[in-house]
Amino acid sequence: MKSSIANTKDNLPLFSSATKKMSKHALEIVLLLIIIVMTFVSNGFLTTDNLLNILRNMALQGCIAFGMTMVIIAGEIDLSIGSTVALTGVIVGLTSGKLAESGIMSLDVAVIVGILVSFIIAGLIGMFNGWLLTKYKVPSFIITLAVMNIVYGIAAVISKGFPVTTLPSWYNVLGAGQIYKIPVPAIILLAVFALIFVVMNYTKFGRSVYAVGGNPESARLSGINVKKVKIVCMMAVQLCAALSGVLVSSQVMSGSFNFGKGWEMIVISSVIIGGTSLFGGVGKVWGTFVGLIFLGVLINAMTLLNVNEYIQYIVRGCLILAAVLVTTIQLMRRRS
Amino acid sequence: MSVLETNGISKFYPGTVALNRVSVSFESGKVHALLGKNGSGKSTLLKIFSGAVEPSQGEVILDGVPLKFHDPSDALTKGIATVYQELSLVPGLTVAENIFLGRMPTKGMFVDWKKTYEMADKLLKELGVDISADRMVSDLSVGQAQMIEIVKAMSYNPSVLQLDEPTSALAKNEIDSLFKMIRKLKEKNVIIIYVTHRLHELWEIADTCTVLREGHYIGKSSMQELKRKELIGMMFGEVELQTRPTDLTIMNEVVLEIKGLTRKNKFQDVSFQLRKGEIVGIAGMLGSGRTELLKSIFGADSFDSGEIYCHGKRMKSPTPEKMKKAGLAYTPEDRKHEGLIQIASIKDNLCTASLNSLAKGPFIRKEVESEFVRRQVDDLQIKVADVTHQVSSLSGGNQQKVVVGNWLNTKPSIMFFDEPTRGIDVNAKQQIFQIIWEQSRKGISSIMVSSELEELLEVCHRILILRNGRIAGEYVPEDLTIEELYALSMGGEAS
Repeated sequence: MKSSIANTKDNLPLFSSATKKMSKHALEIVLLLIIIVMTFVSNGFLTTDNLLNILRNMALQGCIAFGMTMVIIAGEIDLSIGSTVALTGVIVGLTSGKLAESGIMSLDVAVIVGILVSFIIAGLIGMFNGWLLTKYKVPSFIITLAVMNIVYGIAAVISKGFPVTTLPSWYNVLGAGQIYKIPVPAIILLAVFALIFVVMNYTKFGRSVYAVGGNPESARLSGINVKKVKIVCMMAVQLCAALSGVLVSSQVMSGSFNFGKGWEMIVISSVIIGGTSLFGGVGKVWGTFVGLIFLGVLINAMTLLNVNEYIQYIVRGCLILAAVLVTTIQLMRRRS
Repeated sequence: MSVLETNGISKFYPGTVALNRVSVSFESGKVHALLGKNGSGKSTLLKIFSGAVEPSQGEVILDGVPLKFHDPSDALTKGIATVYQELSLVPGLTVAENIFLGRMPTKGMFVDWKKTYEMADKLLKELGVDISADRMVSDLSVGQAQMIEIVKAMSYNPSVLQLDEPTSALAKNEIDSLFKMIRKLKEKNVIIIYVTHRLHELWEIADTCTVLREGHYIGKSSMQELKRKELIGMMFGEVELQTRPTDLTIMNEVVLEIKGLTRKNKFQDVSFQLRKGEIVGIAGMLGSGRTELLKSIFGADSFDSGEIYCHGKRMKSPTPEKMKKAGLAYTPEDRKHEGLIQIASIKDNLCTASLNSLAKGPFIRKEVESEFVRRQVDDLQIKVADVTHQVSSLSGGNQQKVVVGNWLNTKPSIMFFDEPTRGIDVNAKQQIFQIIWEQSRKGISSIMVSSELEELLEVCHRILILRNGRIAGEYVPEDLTIEELYALSMGGEAS
């Protein structure tokens, strides 16, 4: 660039730029360290089975984490995803059961209709969340907290509190199947990651999500439809939750209003650990992926080392705190 | 009688001198107006008195004792209270709670409410303010809140009370009761320093008038002996106007037509036309409705009635999205909060408005993006080390260029510049003007709003005067002097 004048100090010493790079990839480095240590400490860790196991364990919540990354970058949050997971399982089971019972179609086909219905409903929930928060400017935290209760209630009411198990046997493949020994949920997780990675990094929609989260007023005055962007993000995370709901109900071959309880915390934690700022406008889909693996490896390592389950809670909590502090401090440095 | 003085006080900022060896003195029992246009140093002086800014040289002296402040609360305890333009009251608390916030009388561990309200009532009565101490501040009008702000300041028993643009948000009757209150304060032997841009108020409320210009002390005079013309002369001095290039041509084609546009309490019945290549300036004081007008035309705010035609096409219920498509661009007055995404990179900020032209289908074309970024960095001479750096790392002038560049990338046919030169240095200002002229050469029309009216004389082909939300006249810069333009914008005659 001919007109650029380099006068900033941070591109002078080699050493400082190296440490800068290090701090940018701190999470990846720590993750690597844990993996190396674990390889020596535990024989069972670095095996294909165990690694695939980690992926499969993280897949269910992981799908939602990518949608949540979009929502948080847009400056919002969605606490109602766990309830959508539950509702989806119930709806898939109920719809396919009812359709097959009435003889319109076989159970095998009816379950596909059930999946479609649950996706539509999840989309509508997201649209409702987004509409409320953009129209009346109510914080998404409150709206989705309320919606979470409503949706859990609906799931319990329509399933009368019982698990719904009218599912065809092939349905089990989605949550428990393997392709070339790779668990299907892990493949789906990677697909969702790839999709949202592309959307956020290579499309104009992704750019407008960053703009809207970074400064909604400036985005609006730049002619970006802020409301639309936020509503689409809120819908996206709900669709991810529905996908996850399908995987869960397929894994255990039933749908229950009890599924997904407390998932919002795991999902949001992995996004935050991945470096996305709760203030909006800053974050990376790749970071969330690393955050997921990080959480997965950590839980797996603690289990392999027979760490008490209660202690695991403490470790996980400390980790989230540390991650939030690191992100916030980095942001403060960037601002000053 | 007490006196507040400065002896040759100076304040240097990197690259600029905000105050240059200014010596002033203010006596008690009088209202002293402090005047000067933007950048004259009056705000700096105000901030030095209030302890928010430390002088680089010189001292503040109150009754012969030099004062040194560590922070604004220190100035308050040493007897200087300041009421700023932005209100600082807590809406969810009562008048009395606000007045004694953080220092309410206590009985043991608990607040002594009875005493708090008694003290507040007494103070309100003393100052002749007819507002009950137990009212919630959220229920008060702006004028009432302004008066409570002053009561709060007076509750510290200051020797000096500074009022920064106290009337800018008030209606006529509210101003009257505020003035009544200020006259009452004079009896209490307080030194009152009064900053305003509403010149006609001065003869009503002020006793003396101190003028600063470009950081220098120009003079002090008693209001009775001062004529309006002299005052404007003191404020603006000999203004050297740059000349507009002669090769700019205005074509006949009308690109934007506004008919009877009205937004209640903001602007009324505004009509004008903008031709291709033309640069129109809107001159008006703060609160004249100039920013509101631009925002309504651009679709960022609503309006009540009137019509907007863009390239002959009626624009019904405009939104920024629609108007952008129609070829409009708007660089907002508040660069920091409305124009830029501070945490994003320079590159992203240059491409926020033009995402649609960057993309093919849903996907960003990276090569077009870097071309857009490179073009603006080169054309506008934005000084950057690395376009991936955060935009907040740039200087004010360069940030402004990023805002402009963001819009030029949308290839607009009409640009709105709202205060494009606010807070940027002289050099950068000239560059911004060059940019506006260059757009005119390319057939792009512009509307420019600026508080620095001489800039409009320099840049524009035509100037509309906006006063209290109405178009009060239309002039060609060649027919106007700067004094006349200021007088017209502020209301009243030039003489």
